[in-house]
Amino acid sequence: MFRRGSDRAGAVHGPAHTVLAAVLPPAAVPVGVVPVTAGGTTSAMFRPRTVGEAVEMLAAAHDSGAAVALLGGGTDLVPALRSGERAAEVVVALRRVLELRVRGAGADSLTIGAGVTYTDLAGWSLSPGLARAARVVGSVQIRNTGTVGGALGSARPAGDLLTFLTAADAEVLTTSPRGSDRLPLPRFLAEGLAPDALVTAVRLARPGGPQVYLKIGERQAAYPAVVSCAVLVDRVRHRLTCAVGGVGLLPARMEAAERYARDEVDWSTGTVSSAAARRFGDLVVEAATRITPALPAGPRGSAEYRWHAAGVLAGRAFARCLHVTAPPASGPVGDFAAGGQP
Amino acid sequence: MGGEAVSGGIGRSVRRPDGPDKASGVFRYAGDLRVPGMLHARTLRSPHPRARLGRIDAAAARRLPGVAAVVTAADVPGVATYGLIVADQPVFAAAEVRYAGEPVAAVAAVDVATARRALAAIEVDYEPLPPSTDPERVLAADAESLHPAGNLFREIDIRHGEPGVDGPVVVEDRYVVGMQDQAFLAPEAALVSPAADGGVDLLVATQWLHSDREQLAACLGIPENLVRLTLAGVGGAFGGREDVTLQIHGALLARATGAPVRIAYDRVESFLGHPHRHPARMWFRHTATADGELVSVQANVVLDGGAYASSSPAVLANAVTHAAGPYRVPHTRLRGVAVRTNNPPCGAMRGFGVPQVTIGHEAQMDRLADALGMDPVELRIRNAVRPGDVLPTGQVLGAPLPARELIQLVAARPLPPPPTADVTGLALPGGLPAAAEPGRVRRGVGYALAYKNLLFSEGMDDSSAARVRLDLTDDGTPRVRVHSACAEVGQGFVTIAGQIARTELGVEQVVLAPADTAVGSAGSTSASRQTWMSGGAVRGACVAVADRLLARVARAADLPAEVVEAPRRTLRIAAGHIVGVEAGLRIGIADALAEGPIEADYTFHHRRTTALDAEGQGDPHVAFAGAAHRAVVDVDIDLGLVRVVSMALAQDCGTVLNPLSLRGQVEGGTAQGLGLALMEELITVDGVVVNPTFHDYLLPTIADVPDLDFVAVTEPQPDAPYGVKGVGEAPTCTATPAIVAAIRAAVGRDLRRVPVRPQDLVDLPTRPDLPTGSDLPTGSDVPAGVDVPTRAGVDPAGGASTA
Ligand SMILES: Cc1cc2nc3c(=O)[nH]c(=O)nc-3n(C[C@H](O)[C@H](O)[C@H](O)COP(=O)(O)OP(=O)(O)OC[C@H]3O[C@@H](n4cnc5c(N)ncnc54)[C@H](O)[C@@H]3O)c2cc1C
Repeated sequence: MFRRGSDRAGAVHGPAHTVLAAVLPPAAVPVGVVPVTAGGTTSAMFRPRTVGEAVEMLAAAHDSGAAVALLGGGTDLVPALRSGERAAEVVVALRRVLELRVRGAGADSLTIGAGVTYTDLAGWSLSPGLARAARVVGSVQIRNTGTVGGALGSARPAGDLLTFLTAADAEVLTTSPRGSDRLPLPRFLAEGLAPDALVTAVRLARPGGPQVYLKIGERQAAYPAVVSCAVLVDRVRHRLTCAVGGVGLLPARMEAAERYARDEVDWSTGTVSSAAARRFGDLVVEAATRITPALPAGPRGSAEYRWHAAGVLAGRAFARCLHVTAPPASGPVGDFAAGGQP
Repeated sequence: MGGEAVSGGIGRSVRRPDGPDKASGVFRYAGDLRVPGMLHARTLRSPHPRARLGRIDAAAARRLPGVAAVVTAADVPGVATYGLIVADQPVFAAAEVRYAGEPVAAVAAVDVATARRALAAIEVDYEPLPPSTDPERVLAADAESLHPAGNLFREIDIRHGEPGVDGPVVVEDRYVVGMQDQAFLAPEAALVSPAADGGVDLLVATQWLHSDREQLAACLGIPENLVRLTLAGVGGAFGGREDVTLQIHGALLARATGAPVRIAYDRVESFLGHPHRHPARMWFRHTATADGELVSVQANVVLDGGAYASSSPAVLANAVTHAAGPYRVPHTRLRGVAVRTNNPPCGAMRGFGVPQVTIGHEAQMDRLADALGMDPVELRIRNAVRPGDVLPTGQVLGAPLPARELIQLVAARPLPPPPTADVTGLALPGGLPAAAEPGRVRRGVGYALAYKNLLFSEGMDDSSAARVRLDLTDDGTPRVRVHSACAEVGQGFVTIAGQIARTELGVEQVVLAPADTAVGSAGSTSASRQTWMSGGAVRGACVAVADRLLARVARAADLPAEVVEAPRRTLRIAAGHIVGVEAGLRIGIADALAEGPIEADYTFHHRRTTALDAEGQGDPHVAFAGAAHRAVVDVDIDLGLVRVVSMALAQDCGTVLNPLSLRGQVEGGTAQGLGLALMEELITVDGVVVNPTFHDYLLPTIADVPDLDFVAVTEPQPDAPYGVKGVGEAPTCTATPAIVAAIRAAVGRDLRRVPVRPQDLVDLPTRPDLPTGSDLPTGSDVPAGVDVPTRAGVDPAGGASTA
């Protein structure tokens, strides 16, 4: 359990700290090297105030050979440390790094600091789709605590933010002793983060049209997604992107369905036929069945169900982003919402 | 006794004394207890569902600084095994581990982190063996025996009426129920202190102090009087604390170290550490006349008891004796087995075998109604049992059991308004995040009727003792002190005991002594029994105290000898006074107590029942309580997501002692049944639980459970104190099948598996709801000459309803 808040400087705990104290800039140490016990391991916790300090601490810890963990909101990390699933001799807590808690808008992009919480995002009018994805995360406690950096660090197969960012062609901004870097989300996820680097922000384009995020689980609220789906429309560039979470090890882009949409949508009016909407869902199911590696069978939702549900969610999200023409008798979406049968 | 004008008597919604503390987070649960100098204990568990256990080397763990003791099977001085009914479970696995999560060793250290490190330092040689996890295979002739006691915990075969008599309408199918967990919120914890006299003192969250004591003493090899238990704050139980879990381990460590030991489980261990609700595989065959009279019911139930017996034999008796439901059936053949596998042990959980069979018999009733073209409520009304009917065990049903009235009442409750097209958010299946299409949502309504036995069955004399003392406080006000070993696990004995004492003794101030083993056993807080049994004991002790008090007053007032002997004819207690109208007497209770306090003990027994004979006949159950639920659900038919829109419940409650507590019990029971219907399932893969956290084992939240529309039927139970009935279990039995029935009505497909999963409600290439290759009887097993429809489970189109 974390014992926080002691500002008593330099409580020496374990070799990691002794080594680090020698290397670290003096300013960094007094703000709290707090011995923490989580699970079976005792760690030293550092609380940098700037990204620069954080990087120095990371690098020093890394050089000393200590196992380091970055701490955002701790909603994933703390349970993992407690259960022994992860071990860390050094914890670098990012809460006090104010520059990570900033979100901002440029002419055509949005930048969101790694320390921004779901609650911070949930009311953000500049990105209604993202706000919506943030609003359906966990419970209010998780939204108040969980951060964007943590969502990227954990990279859950059906992480809500991750699914949305995957559809949004987001870029990940990182900083390490070698400087700052900026790489597309898929590359970040494929390559992983260097042990002495941290995520400082994500960047995505300003919305260019409707964005819909849907997720399903097995109760009415506060559930982890079994399947999730984000559809983002860019009316200016005539693009529609779609990502599905909960099928593969990471959220996946539905490229065939996206190409189909690009050709089928009447971009001058933003309309599409109901047959096209149905076909869109079917294409998502086809793509979902081919995602490799597939998520191993878990406690809930068979693979077949996940594929099916991905198609239904994609069909619905698609229809909500566009005007569907020639609605069938059973209602505007009734006909194709059941689509997505393999 | 007339306790008029004393507030807080029976029938009032007296608030729980621990309510504010619990609501504000300051209540001390067992896990919150600390004493200076105590050690922290943790448990080492087998990761394998089945393995031969070789060497256990704890030398390195013992050498770690801060480690005080490591105990294993070799350190158990007394009997090596324990158990609620049969002692077949090793304190620590010795030669073989039989389930994943079975304790192998325990460690006490200066802090939790050191204890954890010590666990990691214990070297255990496991030689994994192939686990037997299919409950339908372990009784096969060639199946390996998993324990010296064999793989069969119990078999019951009830034959009633004539074999082979059938009605023309036949409905037959198989049903599967998954493993529900009690999932109480405060994990197992105890504080165990060694005592100077060689004994141990335990502060522990349990359901049955005296049963724990008996098992502890046997395994520790010391007399029971040296094992003293006091109930610590219990955060939920639901049957999951009826078995011993960490008690013996903690006591061994306290005795080994000579220091107080805090032993506790974390959430994952809690999911592994206590027995769960039995998963069931069931086959039913119902036949009826063309106008809907049940003619015969056959059932075959397989309960997976997991690695050890726990209460499996008793759970099975409940399941089988209730398998035909609260219906009059002339001809029954109800069979069942509880078997040993290498799955997690299963035992007591709210409903105790009845929820499983209710899921089966109620699904059958709906399908029978379909086959008959009859309304499901009408079919139930027509067949509902009445007092005086003979049950499948030959037991004559006692009054009251208003089964017909219950189903009629619940069916008459107003229905919720139909779904509107513009409904959004939480009001749709899947809630806000799913944002379902209102146009793709279908509504369904379903009913379930059940009865559940009250108190222990089959000849058990599960009596309850209580001690009541009436004395004066320092400032001279009368006070009642009630001492009972009844475990308060949330059911409300803490209010009921005071209400009874106030009513009987006319004294407002009542204190409840801590529940402990210094007084006689109150029996288990289970089987819907404590208000009846321990309430009866408290009442009996209060009456004895009152009799002595009145006799004392009569004597003091020089009333005739016959009044002193039977003072209640002349004197009564009314609001702090003893009043004798004819004798012109009125004296304050405080004055009568000046001479000294009055104390009395009382032991309450329920009526005797009998065991089942070879034909499954007898008088096994003390009494029953009935319940009927109506569920209304909305289903997103594309995604298979379900939202429960409304729940109505009519329940046979007997006299209501505390309306607020009653409401708590029936709402909780409904929520727990809802959980089983839709989401609560511990999933095992090759015997290993894969979802032992609240992230993956989903409990219903406030967003999932609608307000309960509740009607109590309050016909008094004649042989119970004040006419009470137990109320906690019956609604759990009916909530699940009512919801399943409502889903079935919404989606138009037969459902054979509980919990119902989204994947069971949509069209997928394969239908995964039943295990394949099952040994449960199907058509081939029914009496010759009966035309049996399609085999269920093989026919993916489902259904075996024919008319
Ligand atoms: C009860 C509960 C419900 C949840 N529900 C949901 C849900 O509905 N949807 C959902 O998507 N998730 C859910 N989660 C998961 C989790 O809360 C989120 O993914 C969250 O974003 C994690 O953020 P955090 O700040 O708490 O991360 P932490 O736990 O602090 O860290 C998570 C990981 O990221 C790393 N990390 C943290 N910050 C950085 C950084 N700046 N750079 C690099 N690595 C970093 C950590 O080292 C760690 O490996 C839930 C979790 C819980 C406990």
